[in-house]
Amino acid sequence: MLTELVDFLGSLHPLIVHLPIGIVLLTLAIDVFIRNKNNSVHRVITMGWFFTFFSGLLASFFGWLLGDNGYYFESQISIHRWSGIAFVSLSFIVWILRYINFRFSKPFNRSINLITMLLLMITGHFGGEMTHGQNYLLENLPYVEKEISVVKLSESERSKADSLMVYEDLIHPVLEEKCMACHNQNQAYGGLNMTAFESMIKGGNSGAGIQKGNPYKSLIYKRVSFPQDHLKFMPPAGVPLSYDQVATLEWWIDNGAKKQMPVTLARKDPKIQRLLELQYGLDLREKTYLETLILASPTLDQLKSIEEKKYIWRFLNPEQSFLDLKFTKNQIKTKDLLNIQQIKKNVIWLNLVDCMLNDGHLSFLSDFPNLTRLKIQKNPSVTSKGIKALKNLENLSELNLYGTSVNNTALMTLGQIQSLKKLFLWNTRITPKAIADFRAQHPEIEVVSGL
Amino acid sequence: MHCNDHHHENKNYSRRDFLTKTSLGLGALSLGTLISPVNAYGQSDFLNLLESNKMKLPHFVPKAKRIIYLFQSGAPSQLDLFDYKPKLNEMFGKEVPKSIIGGQRLTGMSSGQSSFPMAGSLFQFNQHGQSGAWMSELMPYTSKIVDELCFIKSMYTDAINHDPAMTMIQTGSELPGRPSIGSWLSYGLGTDNKNLPEFVVLVTKGKNGQPLYSRLWGNGFLPSQHQGVQFRSGKDAVLYLENPPGVSSDIREEQLKSLEKLQSIQHADIGDPEILTKISNYEMAYRMQTSVPEVMDVSDEPEYIFDLYGEDSKNPGTFAANCLLARKLAEKDVKFIQLYHRGWDQHGNLPKDIKKQAKETDQGTAALIQDLKQRGLLEDTLVIWGGEFGRTNYSQGMLKPDNYGRDHHPRCFTIFMAGAGVKKGITIGATDEFGYNIAERPVHIHDFQATLMHLLGIDHEKLTFKFQGRRYRLTDVHGNVVNEVLA
Repeated sequence: MLTELVDFLGSLHPLIVHLPIGIVLLTLAIDVFIRNKNNSVHRVITMGWFFTFFSGLLASFFGWLLGDNGYYFESQISIHRWSGIAFVSLSFIVWILRYINFRFSKPFNRSINLITMLLLMITGHFGGEMTHGQNYLLENLPYVEKEISVVKLSESERSKADSLMVYEDLIHPVLEEKCMACHNQNQAYGGLNMTAFESMIKGGNSGAGIQKGNPYKSLIYKRVSFPQDHLKFMPPAGVPLSYDQVATLEWWIDNGAKKQMPVTLARKDPKIQRLLELQYGLDLREKTYLETLILASPTLDQLKSIEEKKYIWRFLNPEQSFLDLKFTKNQIKTKDLLNIQQIKKNVIWLNLVDCMLNDGHLSFLSDFPNLTRLKIQKNPSVTSKGIKALKNLENLSELNLYGTSVNNTALMTLGQIQSLKKLFLWNTRITPKAIADFRAQHPEIEVVSGL
Repeated sequence: MHCNDHHHENKNYSRRDFLTKTSLGLGALSLGTLISPVNAYGQSDFLNLLESNKMKLPHFVPKAKRIIYLFQSGAPSQLDLFDYKPKLNEMFGKEVPKSIIGGQRLTGMSSGQSSFPMAGSLFQFNQHGQSGAWMSELMPYTSKIVDELCFIKSMYTDAINHDPAMTMIQTGSELPGRPSIGSWLSYGLGTDNKNLPEFVVLVTKGKNGQPLYSRLWGNGFLPSQHQGVQFRSGKDAVLYLENPPGVSSDIREEQLKSLEKLQSIQHADIGDPEILTKISNYEMAYRMQTSVPEVMDVSDEPEYIFDLYGEDSKNPGTFAANCLLARKLAEKDVKFIQLYHRGWDQHGNLPKDIKKQAKETDQGTAALIQDLKQRGLLEDTLVIWGGEFGRTNYSQGMLKPDNYGRDHHPRCFTIFMAGAGVKKGITIGATDEFGYNIAERPVHIHDFQATLMHLLGIDHEKLTFKFQGRRYRLTDVHGNVVNEVLA
């Protein structure tokens, strides 16, 4: 009963609050614009200050009740609250001083007026932010970049899209902003405490907060997605959840509402992926190794040391650190492979096709950390034994072995290369059955073995 | 010159510097190793700066390293090959609705017709592969590999006649004089092969139809080492490449060296960069004396490869044989391999003629894509098949139940691509049910060109060449990358 009365009176705050605003503005206007004031005018001004104080007192009292009902965080309202009280106090002091006929010097009077206006604007602005949402003031200014979402991710968080978690990074901040003022451990309205993951799932007096896998039976989802005039719509005050936030919540619950659900799961759902990309400025595309690789350019000396009669090299990126290297002669020698060791970090693509490469040579390729594409086709002296040297190429994604003498045992090695995506095995000694088995074991690797 | 923007310290290269540097560079490079763009790219500090700082190429990591463009000159009828329009069969012989033509200016060849009867294709269409792509019965071999292909059914161009349309698709402008795609790529990316040109052209022999001009593979205002080199079928693949009778290889080499000295003097004197180009052309020609016969020799190819490409492939100069050569050139890292196959310009008698054309090209095309795939070359080679525009849905001339012709139609046509960086088994864009206008995702020639460059790691807006006071690009001031095709 009392709570409801308090709530009712609290809700009068936004109405009453406009009285002191109007009265003080009128009072200041009279003070400023009437030059030669006689006694009556002075009395009107004094009366104005009194009514400012009186209506302000009422407004702040209701405001206090409203602020205490738990819909707002103290951090949100404290400036509004205390600047409002300062305003009321000031108006009281001014009224008393005028009442006892204290003589205001001109500069003093002006300062008072100025301070009053400032307090009024501060109080009004922060009050407005609560009812209309943050950024309400600037968001509709032309040429100001619009905030798509209230919840923002920092630059560094966005760059690590792969490690973001749906609950921790996307859902929890929204709930914190919109719900936890009333649903926290100290003040769990309806028995619901949303600050901790477990208690949020568990829900409150009305039932489970979240039913994993079923958003439409999850009370939290239902409440925030009701029509806004619905009795049970949440949050009851302030700015409701945006469409994107509701959709993110729905998708998260739909996928099991796990605490540790990576944001990258959105790749399976193009609509959500697009939404998250737009809302949070995330780039959720699956990045290739090269897109994440930052390398120092080889030095000019290193580049000059590559034997120009034997190799052709080319940069693959504008930063000039990725090299595409091709051997051009018919017969490769050990010293040719030694020749390229000092730039091995920078070699991204390597072409040693049809150059009488043998197993011994392959051992010089065992440590090319950033090699993603290796073409050693048409080298009949390459066998399964030599291939073993390649198993530590941890970023190799494409390997061309057609026309080599590798046999079934090579598949053992090849299966160990985690990064492998494409494998060319046409015209080798590997049997069709072994290839079929390998395909079944490694569905992530595309094996091309002829027509 | 762009150098100034990026240069080390305060060094500005003036015109004088340019001349001094290039002539010095030449001196250093000329003897011993024959000058080639590779040497220049890799070693000469000056040209290196020029190349690398000017445009920082590639602009991003490329998907494709080379392109094989199977150009179908004369404009094949998309309506009889790829773009299935049952509505046209349903309304066979009825007038094309005026609203569909929309006041378009037709060519003089059919604009005078009193009637524009719609001609549904006489050929059976079926869906193929996992992707369910529609293909007509004319291309049985290509139908089998549709899951490797990316169709764009909503291509359109500005030109309505062959020469401007071919010039447009090859150079980005209807007016002759601009560099063709292959020349731009050669200019932008240099070579991956010391002994062959970056840009090779193969033309199917013995075909009639719209004339081909060598300017279609011309370098325009780019240095002339970037022009396409036509390899002919038969004994002399490149004309006048062989030493004249009585001149031995040694004499030839000595002659070239002396010539080079003379030219160096000339270059030091007047500094015309085209002199350098000339020298490099001579020397490329010298190296090609061995490299070209080697690459043109298909005697090593096993029988099953000839079987794959079809019996034509043993007959030099046919499309199939050229496809096989294209694969060999791709293996040698030639950057841009351009095939031309003429004879698609079927204004009349289309059903009979297109059958022949399709038969000539179908197996070779499919074989090339498969052969590239099994060798792993499809990973970094992009294959393109298409003509310069489309053909009308109405019959040019009298429509008979078993015969019709089709006029030029720039408003929509189909091309397909396969390979590096392109999605497999998809179709982009669509035409309306009459196959006359584009209904979905129009792709202009410039968009197509921008996409090709993108696949090769080039931002088409950044690869420019200053000529006659302004910077030119392949796409001029147009073009948007067709992101939907990118894998």
